[in-house]
Amino acid sequence: MKMLLAILLCKLGRAVGKLVGKGSSLPGKLALKVCPDILHRVQLPPRVIAVTGSNGKTSTVEMIAAILRAGGKTVVYNEEGSNQIEGVTTLVLTRATLTGKVHADVLLIESDERYAAKTFRYFHPTEFVITNLYRDQLTRNGHPEWVYDALVPAIHPDTELILNADDPLSSCFAEGHEKVQWFGLDRCSISTDAPAGVYHDGAYCPLCKHPMEYEYAHYNQIGSYRCTNCGHAKPETDFTATALDLDAGTLTLDGETEIQLAFRSIYNVYNILAAYAAGRRAGIPAETIAGVINRYVLKNGRMQTFRLGAHHGTLLTSKHENSIAYDTNLRYVASAKEDCVVLVIVDAVSRKYFTSETSWLWDIDFDQLNVPQVKQVILSGRYCNDLAERFSFSALPEWRVEPEIAAAAEQLRESGSEKLYVITCFSDRDKFLAHVEKEA
Amino acid sequence: MEVTMIHFYPDLMNLYGSYANVSALRRYLERLGCTVKMETVIPCGSADFTHGDFFYMGAGTERTAKAVMEDFARFREDLKAAAADGAAMLFAGTAMELLGKSVRDADGTEYSAAGLAEFTTERRKTRIVGDVYGHTELFPEAVVGFMNKCGVITGVETPLLSKVNLGHGNELPGGPEGFHWKNVFASELTGPLLIKNPRMLETVAAAVYARRGQPLPVDRPPDPWAETGYTVTEEQLRKRI
Repeated sequence: MKMLLAILLCKLGRAVGKLVGKGSSLPGKLALKVCPDILHRVQLPPRVIAVTGSNGKTSTVEMIAAILRAGGKTVVYNEEGSNQIEGVTTLVLTRATLTGKVHADVLLIESDERYAAKTFRYFHPTEFVITNLYRDQLTRNGHPEWVYDALVPAIHPDTELILNADDPLSSCFAEGHEKVQWFGLDRCSISTDAPAGVYHDGAYCPLCKHPMEYEYAHYNQIGSYRCTNCGHAKPETDFTATALDLDAGTLTLDGETEIQLAFRSIYNVYNILAAYAAGRRAGIPAETIAGVINRYVLKNGRMQTFRLGAHHGTLLTSKHENSIAYDTNLRYVASAKEDCVVLVIVDAVSRKYFTSETSWLWDIDFDQLNVPQVKQVILSGRYCNDLAERFSFSALPEWRVEPEIAAAAEQLRESGSEKLYVITCFSDRDKFLAHVEKEA
Repeated sequence: MEVTMIHFYPDLMNLYGSYANVSALRRYLERLGCTVKMETVIPCGSADFTHGDFFYMGAGTERTAKAVMEDFARFREDLKAAAADGAAMLFAGTAMELLGKSVRDADGTEYSAAGLAEFTTERRKTRIVGDVYGHTELFPEAVVGFMNKCGVITGVETPLLSKVNLGHGNELPGGPEGFHWKNVFASELTGPLLIKNPRMLETVAAAVYARRGQPLPVDRPPDPWAETGYTVTEEQLRKRI
């Protein structure tokens, strides 16, 4: 009876919520109040795939859904990204029958890394993809090892882990766990001999804290590591990307499937790899997966192209408080061939909560912009002074400050025709996009 | 003046842009005409306390701090002697915990720390995270910053911040924060607190000069970005009190 009431309440709440444009977590919250173990009582699809990690969750989940559907599976997933237990409950109950059965082949869940243990208290995924774990929103997450510890109770012994072999921290989840599948990227043209970046989270082993050595690194601490003491090292991969060429936008999966990248970012490569691994474990043939991810353009697009005066521009959405997201976008800009102008905006540190915390700016390697084709860097937003102070410690010769976003946009409209890159967060992107002509 | 800065465990204890405290002080001293020599100390590496003018350690994770604590124990007597002699030191973020008598983990295991001060740290299973706005007796301007810790520190008799108007102190919300004795500064304000607080940077630089028996030069180069950044953050945080 409690289950029926919870399902009805959730379905009704969701319908009303959609009408008034409210988010998707409240109906689940109400249902959990009525029936706290509702997720244990419902009958879930035979396959439950969960995805978590610091970066790439939403993109990976979107790709996995497309792959599964192309393979003929029916999929239920949290497209709106409400990734804590309340959002997952809303998703499950709105798609359940009144008797609590979810009719689908796969339930696919994007899960917040901090709260996954809560979500998976009453059921557990058959496959759990963990994309990576690194410095991200330290204001709420503490630090990566804190998040790691919070995730451990979310992992059921029966769950198959699909892990990133190249990440020294999240690969530790395999310790003492039987069922593990690994994805990773072999040495390629973008690899360096040692990790780059302002800080070196790969310098010491996450397990024993002794020095680690790298055979190669792809970005930050992601690469082929080996602890000099305990032997913690990049394992042999089950799903492998090789021959990555970001200039040509190509890579090869498992030595035979060539993929064209719609977005030539190293991030995209790892999202594709994770999605490919999950798809293969769900029984989808490689050629079907290749058909989906070849030139795949994400719907949740973190990249927006636009025109501003004579400038053709690209907005690269980064997460504030996530230095690796910034580093990756800076690397993308630095790899551009044509002359460009870069606008960095930090106005509201977060759209969800207030903070004046800007320490994360010091974890970003802005020196990557110190390349000949970057002709000018403009810093804008409420925290432009903090940005400027950070830049004053960089080697960049050309940067200036324009506190008002509207004024920065106006100045750009009136002068120059170089390619324009705008780097900012979800919290600030619309403040800039209001001043440009967006392209589809 | 030639100044030697000794940076403990720069890769291990470097969460939240901690390294920038060293960068800030170094640039500040260089702009005053000092020649700054940098030395770093890694696990099992040596440290020459007799030549150090400034000793620094930044924030680390609990597991890293534990590993560092074991290595750092060998410097216990040298550290105490240097501090008693007036050497300037900054232990920022969770590094502050290493200066006390002991650290008790959330599982109850207790570790001996450097013992420079009598305070003890007890780690909890939840984190104390949030913006901080407070005051020190050292200068009239407010101190701004951010805290991200799971340790509750008790027994500090000489705090750095006498009052916290917004956020958490060593033990309690609103309570005193950090530790200050002679030229030793410690605060669980994480990240680059010397960048965020130009007066604190000046104070620590003055401590380096004081050890050499010199006052901070009267003519000091301004840092308008840091000053304006501080003004914006101070105003934003004051609104939240």
